[in-house]
Amino acid sequence: MRLDTLHTAETPEGIALSLRPAGLVARGLAYLIDFGIRLGIFMAISITVGLLGKMGAGILLISYFCLEWFYPVLFELTRAAATPGKRVMGLRVVMDSGLPVTPAASLTRNLLRAADFVPAFYGAGIVSMLWRRDSKRLGDLAAGTLVVFSDQVSLHGEVPVAEPQAPARALSAREQAAVVSWAGRARRLTPERLDELARLAEPVLGPGVHGASASQRLLGVAQWVLGRRGGAR
Amino acid sequence: MTPLDFEAAYAPLWAELEAVVAAAETRRRFDGARLATLYRRVCEHLALAQARAYPIHLTQRLEGLTQSAHRLIYRRHDYGLARLGRLVLVDFPQAVRAHRGYLLAAALLFLVPLLAAGWAAWRDPGFILHLLDAGEVQQFDGMYGDRSEALGRTRDAGDDWQMFGFYVMHNIGIGFRCFAAGLFAGVGSAFVLVFNGTQIGAVGGYLIGAGHARNFLSFVVTHSAFELTAIVLAGAAGLRLGHSWLAPGRHTRLEALRLAARHAVVVVYGVVGLLLVAAAVEAFWSSARWITPAVKYGVGGACWALVLAYLGWQGRPRAAADAAARPAAGGRHAG
Repeated sequence: MRLDTLHTAETPEGIALSLRPAGLVARGLAYLIDFGIRLGIFMAISITVGLLGKMGAGILLISYFCLEWFYPVLFELTRAAATPGKRVMGLRVVMDSGLPVTPAASLTRNLLRAADFVPAFYGAGIVSMLWRRDSKRLGDLAAGTLVVFSDQVSLHGEVPVAEPQAPARALSAREQAAVVSWAGRARRLTPERLDELARLAEPVLGPGVHGASASQRLLGVAQWVLGRRGGAR
Repeated sequence: MTPLDFEAAYAPLWAELEAVVAAAETRRRFDGARLATLYRRVCEHLALAQARAYPIHLTQRLEGLTQSAHRLIYRRHDYGLARLGRLVLVDFPQAVRAHRGYLLAAALLFLVPLLAAGWAAWRDPGFILHLLDAGEVQQFDGMYGDRSEALGRTRDAGDDWQMFGFYVMHNIGIGFRCFAAGLFAGVGSAFVLVFNGTQIGAVGGYLIGAGHARNFLSFVVTHSAFELTAIVLAGAAGLRLGHSWLAPGRHTRLEALRLAARHAVVVVYGVVGLLLVAAAVEAFWSSARWITPAVKYGVGGACWALVLAYLGWQGRPRAAADAAARPAAGGRHAG
């Protein structure tokens, strides 16, 4: 069973893009922020056109209509591909293929908001978002769009500097990858946990400098795997 | 090649792509050809890095880079007037004709209740009280009656603008909901069509029965050409959604829905246009009492003919051009 919600889309170049669909809470908060902004705009317009009498009332109704239906469409077609609320929450709207959302898709997903709204307060949309791994609401299903987090999370950083050290035996590709990704997490784990994990690799560690901890020695191996040899560079 | 060599060899290239992407995201002018070249190179590097299980911070950097370049390269560029013109002149009427079956169903769902309710309300003035309460009926009586506060007589330009705003908000909203409700197996669209048909028919039948035929018909004849057509079209698009979901055919259910939505949304573009025209006509023309009903009937009839002809014939390739194109196209396929 898959535990993560990653959605992979393949590009024409054969590259797999990994997209992280946003869930109910992030999207709900984005909606609330947008709601506040729309309310603010509506108030501002109503104050300014209040001077125009009945013509102003007409403009007010039209602006209400535009805010209701076209506010998200307009912002989703910008380069950020997100309404201000979504941008605050770090979200963006993309097609299933990872491409920027098209005008037709954006309009479809926002018109079908009316279908997501039934029976009240986006009931159908919420059920659909909770039901599906990729958190799509009905409008997203029909338009083929996806709301994703725009920023990548980085769990792995640079490998810390250490004296390069040859492993005791040749490492397979998988073992090399495991050692390097362990080293990439050195800055995120506590030293004790890092050491505990390093001791699992004790059999492959070569004879180190006397007194160096297992994690120090494994970091050396990681540097060696990356291509740094003692003293050479 | 070790990861360090790899990074040392190609890091300048990645930095350049980063710079080009940043330029493309902020400025209007940038070197597109260079972007494409660099993008392709970095895609190769990413594939290599993934295949050789290079350190994850390296592959993640490449992934981020390719993703933002990918978004830039495959962005759509063709907004603007040419696209809008094509939509109005070709795509929308063609999409309407492609929905012929749904259109027929939607028209029946709308017109049969309209005529039935209209006939019932005309025969028996009490019938309308099954649908509306007495206050609303009185309001309608006042609007279309011949008394001085009747519609149009006391209205000034400001009123026209207010009503335009109201019609835009209210009617286009109904159109959109009529489309969206189709997602639920088409039941929602059918309901909106039947409901609106019954209401409009009953009110019309009642007013004609009450002797306001002249006021009422001259008021509605022009904008109804755009408004009623648009509601039926929105319903047809909604029915298409519902049908694709109920009977997906050889597609998966989701794929069928997505396909239907892509085609149906073109119809919805047109619905917006028609309802905007309807709102303008209703606010500025239909309500003008100084125009004699005879003129309004004439203009209204012309509008009906125009709308139906537009939907029926606009955007068809000319018969001769069509005949000439067909063998050529066939030849191309054969070759």
